[in-house]
Amino acid sequence: MKEYSFLTHMCDIRMKVEADSLVDLFSAALEGMNSIITGGREPVEDERQQLLVDIESVDITALLIDFLSEVLSETHTAYVAFDELEVLQLADSHLRAVLHGNKVEGFAEDIKAVTYHEAEVRMNGEGYYQSVIVFDI
Amino acid sequence: MIDKKDIRQISPFLWEIARSHRSDMRVPARIFASERMLDQVLSDRSIEQLVNVTSLPGIQQAAMVMPDVHEGYGFPIGGVAATLCPSGVISPGGIGYDINCGVRLLYSNYEYASIEKDIRLLGASMFSRIPSGVGKSGNIKLTRRKLDEVLRYGAKWMVRNGYGYPEDIENAESFGCLKNADPEAVSERAKKRGHDQLGTLGAGNHFIEIDEVDEIYDDECAHAFGLFQGQAVVQIHTGSRGLGHQVATDYVKIMMSAMSDYEIVVPDRELACAPFDSLEGQQYFDAMAAAANFAWANRQAITHQIREAWEAVLGNRVNLTLLYDVAHNIAKVEEHEIDGEMRALVVHRKGATRAFGPGHPEVPMEYRTVGQPVIIPGSMGTASYVLAGTEAGMKMTFGSTCHGAGRRMSRGEARRKKRGEQVLSELSNQGICIYSDSMKGLAEEAPEAYKKIDEVVEVIDRSGIAKKVARLKPKLVIKG
Repeated sequence: MKEYSFLTHMCDIRMKVEADSLVDLFSAALEGMNSIITGGREPVEDERQQLLVDIESVDITALLIDFLSEVLSETHTAYVAFDELEVLQLADSHLRAVLHGNKVEGFAEDIKAVTYHEAEVRMNGEGYYQSVIVFDI
Repeated sequence: MIDKKDIRQISPFLWEIARSHRSDMRVPARIFASERMLDQVLSDRSIEQLVNVTSLPGIQQAAMVMPDVHEGYGFPIGGVAATLCPSGVISPGGIGYDINCGVRLLYSNYEYASIEKDIRLLGASMFSRIPSGVGKSGNIKLTRRKLDEVLRYGAKWMVRNGYGYPEDIENAESFGCLKNADPEAVSERAKKRGHDQLGTLGAGNHFIEIDEVDEIYDDECAHAFGLFQGQAVVQIHTGSRGLGHQVATDYVKIMMSAMSDYEIVVPDRELACAPFDSLEGQQYFDAMAAAANFAWANRQAITHQIREAWEAVLGNRVNLTLLYDVAHNIAKVEEHEIDGEMRALVVHRKGATRAFGPGHPEVPMEYRTVGQPVIIPGSMGTASYVLAGTEAGMKMTFGSTCHGAGRRMSRGEARRKKRGEQVLSELSNQGICIYSDSMKGLAEEAPEAYKKIDEVVEVIDRSGIAKKVARLKPKLVIKG
């Protein structure tokens, strides 16, 4: 199971992600952010792009946010929307993964940043990993 | 959540949560608002976020929010917090991701009535020249060396390179350039993200407006500011674009890692901070200044493009003079009086505007007797205000005031209430021309999504932290 949903926020975007594994939690977060960035727009090229990411953070919560920040920066500089995550290694404070995506011409939403506000990766009562993520737009 | 019974009224428009409310509070939390506004503010997490800010090491006097306050992340929007310099902390979250998002006002030598017939031509001329919307590149291409010069010299670099007049520098906060800016403190990624964005408006609540001066409240100030009833003026609201966003992202991460070295614990990760005099604190301050300079350069580039657009329509008799340019997401080292003595402070303003009173040496000479001009944009269907800083504001809010109307409805709720086409039609019926590529953006920025700017400014004026000078009515809006 992996899913993302959107909660209300006065000026920004508050997203909740849930999954039955940490790998899927990261994947759900990527898919959720990608849905904001592309707004369902079709890519301009069919050719798939790849990006290797290697991230160290202070803990698993920071790792999730730092991962999304890394993706966002790449998206904004390379004009690639990433929608698929291939995890090579995931530990509490380290992620090594390959991202897959397509070139886009523009973005549906200008996400300025992925914030740490309210983020907390934890196991909920139903046995799923979850976190809230607030995007500054 | 904070309950209203935890809040004490200390004057008609000032409310306080005592330091005793929570064990980690170092100072009280203060809210500038009418009672009706306070009730509204309590419906989101703004005040809880404000209370979190009071826990920052070295914070002085009180953490405050202006009447345009609303929920943010870490700091609330509309927040002001000052920490002792140099031993207190600096927090990137207290500035926000859009470093030096701000607004400038250009006044023209025209009465609006005399250019009304050309308004659509002016709109089309500006809209075609100035890239707006999500992810748009600008027309100014910079080499890496020149980008570093922009980061170091801000609006001054733009003027030196033909994008404006020397007077534009005189009338910008900090003369459009923070001297401590260090391009070396800005990551390559941030430079890459911003290298083609100079002269672009961006999206969200960023805009260019042509307004008519609708009402003058203070003749002396208005005269000093060059404003008269019926005058056509232009507002520009934008910031440091992707470059600033990345600088903030980079340093929030750096500070989060560094906090344990300084034994700092904060109640929200977005309040990550480091002592101002630490390596991390100084590097962030210098990188933030570089991003702030990029924002001033951006507003200067857009000013230049607007002048070209007006001249293309109205000929070379056009005179668009910079009244003032204010930052509303920034940290500054300033001296303020605390307990009878002047202290150096790191004043964080996040969605709040500097508003220095008469006589302050940082107020341009031509305005010094009346106080610093403050530009408060409202929503695109209501009004904006020009205010002047006051001596009372220097004492009560570290010389700060509000930055806009403040949202009262989430973007999603605004979209559910009205479609962009409906907003466009209603504004057109009010005689306001709209230029935008995004109907979704128009729906999110509908006037109803914001608090009533007249009420927000009334609280500011009646509490004395700034005074009303003029009201502006929107006539043309370019939305990012």
